[in-house]
Amino acid sequence: MEIEGYQFPDDRSYHKEHYWAKVENDTVLMGATDFAQRLAGEITYVELPDKGRPVEQDKPFGSMESGKWVGRIYAVVSGTVVEVNEELEETPELINESPYDKGWICRIEPSNLQEDWQKLLSIQTLPPFIQSEILRVEQITSEKP
Amino acid sequence: MVIFHTLARMGVEALVLVSPEQPLASIGYFQNAEEEMDLPFCRRSGIPVMRREIGGGATYLDRNQIFYQIVWRKDNPRLPQRIKDVFLALSEPACETYRAFGVDSQFRPENDIVTTAGRKIVGQGGGNIAGCMVFVGGILMDFDHRTMSKILKTPDVKFRDKVFKTIQENVTTMKRELGEAPPRQEIVSVLVERFSKILGRLSQASLDRKMIRAMETVEQSLTSDRFLSRKTARIPRSIKIREGVEILSGVHKARGGLIRTVETVENDRIRDVAISGDFQCCPKEDLSRLQETLRETPRDRHAVRGRIESFYEKEDIETPGIDPEDMTQPIMTATP
Repeated sequence: MEIEGYQFPDDRSYHKEHYWAKVENDTVLMGATDFAQRLAGEITYVELPDKGRPVEQDKPFGSMESGKWVGRIYAVVSGTVVEVNEELEETPELINESPYDKGWICRIEPSNLQEDWQKLLSIQTLPPFIQSEILRVEQITSEKP
Repeated sequence: MVIFHTLARMGVEALVLVSPEQPLASIGYFQNAEEEMDLPFCRRSGIPVMRREIGGGATYLDRNQIFYQIVWRKDNPRLPQRIKDVFLALSEPACETYRAFGVDSQFRPENDIVTTAGRKIVGQGGGNIAGCMVFVGGILMDFDHRTMSKILKTPDVKFRDKVFKTIQENVTTMKRELGEAPPRQEIVSVLVERFSKILGRLSQASLDRKMIRAMETVEQSLTSDRFLSRKTARIPRSIKIREGVEILSGVHKARGGLIRTVETVENDRIRDVAISGDFQCCPKEDLSRLQETLRETPRDRHAVRGRIESFYEKEDIETPGIDPEDMTQPIMTATP
């Protein structure tokens, strides 16, 4: 789905901090959305969590840098990190170039999937939220998508 | 430094204007203190080192700098969301303040404010802390370039001298630009007035007991050995002086001896390079001429090697056991 120039694949759910979540074989793959990567600008470094690290939905567990800005990575569901995208260590810009594919951030083994998933936005409920976010960005902005 | 970290955690929106009573060194969130700071020098000199939760590099802070720290909640509609727009918008008050005192300056992407001569006069950075966004910069009334160069970890004295000279050339201050820095209170008044155009009406406030208690806790955390010595996987690629200007050093062991280089790179061109080592060069003067030849060469392996090869072909230079590829290596593999 495209919402005012920003891409949001239909096969995933979305977190209000602008991260996506996709269930794959009892785990949840996550990454930053197209909207998030454009807000951030060129990402120059990603601090990935350690494998085995417990994470809590809505809480930050990693960071990334664009220019001299430190942004936070928020957990889309609660659980344990079981895999991280090590490609991001050398090529953090994969988050900009391919946010939904090669730029995935990590995989979480969920501890409370059913309940946590209810709190995410589906592709059907996403548009009004994103539209209000886009409006906020465009109130003071240098460029449109 | 502690104030903005505390206010962000408490969700208190504010413009903070502050100068440290005592000097300190501050490192960016993703830096490795041991790899990038001369911690023994800081300890010997009584300069505390603190890691901040926002971006940017190592810097020296003292009372000759007036820091502006803006804290706002992420959902505040008055302020931009896109990081590029945050820098653009929140750099303008500092630029206007400098201009008000006769220092013509402008924002230069990605982060700096520079004079018309291209010298950096403000360093800025920001980040997300708790539910807030934070943006920080500093007006340089004056700046201790020498101590700034000393708090950074450098491979040797020669490199440190280079760092000092390059900082001096590329980082300026109100005192340097005007002969004398204007009175602090006048600068503060103008800054407040300019920021209020973006932030809305501002009224002076004091830190209450709750904030002070929170600051004590935050300070303990930010200055703890654990936080200071946290390791990141980030590898420093250079000492960055300002946007587009960095200093790197390289070393390469060739058959004919060790070659060391220290280069200043500006916008991906070699501004200058110093080549030294325990190899033989005949005539000796040719080494200086080779260094001169490399000025303004694009920092690209093909271009650098081509320039060196051309020099070797045209001149009488003899460097037993060292060929143009050997000379290229340290220049191209240089790191801080």
